[in-house]
Amino acid sequence: MTAAVSIENLTKIYTLDLLKGRRRVVALENLTLSIGEGHVMGVLGPNGAGKSTTIKLLLNLIRPTTGSARVFGLDPSNAEARRHVGFLPENPAPYEYLTGEEFVRFAGGLSGLRGAELTARVKAVLEQVQMDRFTGVQIRRYSKGMTQRIALAQALVSNPRLLILDEPTSGLDVLGRQLIRDIIVAEKKKGTSVLLCSHIIPDVEALAEDVAILIGGKLVRSGPVSEMLSSEGSRVELVFEGVDAERLASLEPEVIQVGRRLTLRTGADDARALIEAAQQAQGRLISMQPIRHSLEDTFLDAVRSSQNKVGSTIE
Amino acid sequence: MNGVLNIALNGFREARRNRVTSVLFVFAFIMVFSTTVSIEFTVATFDRVMTDFGLGVIGLLSPALTIFLGTALIPREIERRTIFMVVAKPVSRSAFLVGRYLGNVITVVFLVVIMSALFLIQLEVAGASATFSTGIHREHLVALYGLLLEVVLLTAVCFLFASASSQYVSSLSVTCLYFIGHMAEDLYTFANRSKLDVLRYAGKAIYYVLPNFDRLDFKARATYFDPTSNSELLSITAYTLAYTALVLVFATQIFERRDFK
Repeated sequence: MTAAVSIENLTKIYTLDLLKGRRRVVALENLTLSIGEGHVMGVLGPNGAGKSTTIKLLLNLIRPTTGSARVFGLDPSNAEARRHVGFLPENPAPYEYLTGEEFVRFAGGLSGLRGAELTARVKAVLEQVQMDRFTGVQIRRYSKGMTQRIALAQALVSNPRLLILDEPTSGLDVLGRQLIRDIIVAEKKKGTSVLLCSHIIPDVEALAEDVAILIGGKLVRSGPVSEMLSSEGSRVELVFEGVDAERLASLEPEVIQVGRRLTLRTGADDARALIEAAQQAQGRLISMQPIRHSLEDTFLDAVRSSQNKVGSTIE
Repeated sequence: MNGVLNIALNGFREARRNRVTSVLFVFAFIMVFSTTVSIEFTVATFDRVMTDFGLGVIGLLSPALTIFLGTALIPREIERRTIFMVVAKPVSRSAFLVGRYLGNVITVVFLVVIMSALFLIQLEVAGASATFSTGIHREHLVALYGLLLEVVLLTAVCFLFASASSQYVSSLSVTCLYFIGHMAEDLYTFANRSKLDVLRYAGKAIYYVLPNFDRLDFKARATYFDPTSNSELLSITAYTLAYTALVLVFATQIFERRDFK
């Protein structure tokens, strides 16, 4: 089976300030990854990590310096490679002089849809993104959230087999975020592959099966999300009320005290002794749960181990 | 092909809804209409003054509109990133550029046709009065046809520059090229009289390589009712279409290689 996306040793270097001497910006360095059909891949990284550069290379918006990328087995410079791709860019800028419906219809026409099929798809996606009430309004009058929804509609109109979403939920309210998450889940169920770049780690954690972490243009970690969410040894978090932290200091837990509420982190073996000590001090146990290693923890660990390197490498 | 047509028609729709285009159109309308006013300040040869003034106004406004619209379009698409969602569709960059070119040509041709119609109506109305010798003459139509060919070629030149550089650089370069193109015959004659080989070759190079807008200018002939043969019209049409196609091929080659950061 052909992978939806296949990237091998992909590098993109920009040259700056030709008049003042050659300076090279390494936006992406030797990236290798693939997305199988029907899989959702999340790409995380701080600003300038190379996330958008990767997307632009896959869509032929920029050309690679070295390496190769394939979309459904085709080079991105081949227009046919984009036949089954839907793309939502970061801060999308649709033609403001068009109405929402006209823009989605225009996008559908470019994807090869015609006649009754085009009309039906436009109607369906406008309903899907809950913009069917605003179809006759020019995009220049839309809010940011409405613009984002129309941009998502144009990405979905051709029934793509691969969705490339760059920061799809940025700047949206809770309802907008939930809608986009629901749409991604629905697309995943249909077997659509999704490349999801986002700063919002809980979104990636909830939606993606695999994740790649880019820092400074390099891939520093990748794999199934489930592997990165493993529990952190056997540590637990306990929350007490009505007990003074000093009374428990001998057991050396990590302590956060907010008013009468005390949150402690310690090894599971020490939990029983802590509970007993707290009860002796007239404290009340509110909750106890194992500490889970979140995707955010993995991401922060990766950033720390890369010496907090943010942005592209300038040589 | 459908992609090209979609993009072209959308470009024309953009121009129709653009307030700047509307304002320019109203301005052009007023300027062309002022042709009738010009004869109020004329003692004799009303028809020549009217032809001179009317064709002069259209000949000034049509390249100005063409350069303004033609050099702004592609850089604005890239700067505002509206291009991202279009070229991410199964449409080649060449198809995008040619579609945008056709949309712009439809817009400027539409503007020139409206201005021409207004000019011809004024000629016809004035021609009905006793003070005028003629109304609409074949040479008027030939001059307007030359102006239409000029905007078709000039738009292609605008797209060539705009596919590689910013709006300001493009508009400045195309404006210079437009004036040089109108002086091509004079430059050729001047260079031929030079004793320096370099100047002679430079004059020939400008004459043969750069677009010769002078060949498409029939305004003076219209003023003096100097006839133009059908074979000459055929020749300038072929020249314009061939040169436009060549310029567009270069423009698409540049555009295909460009990075959209």
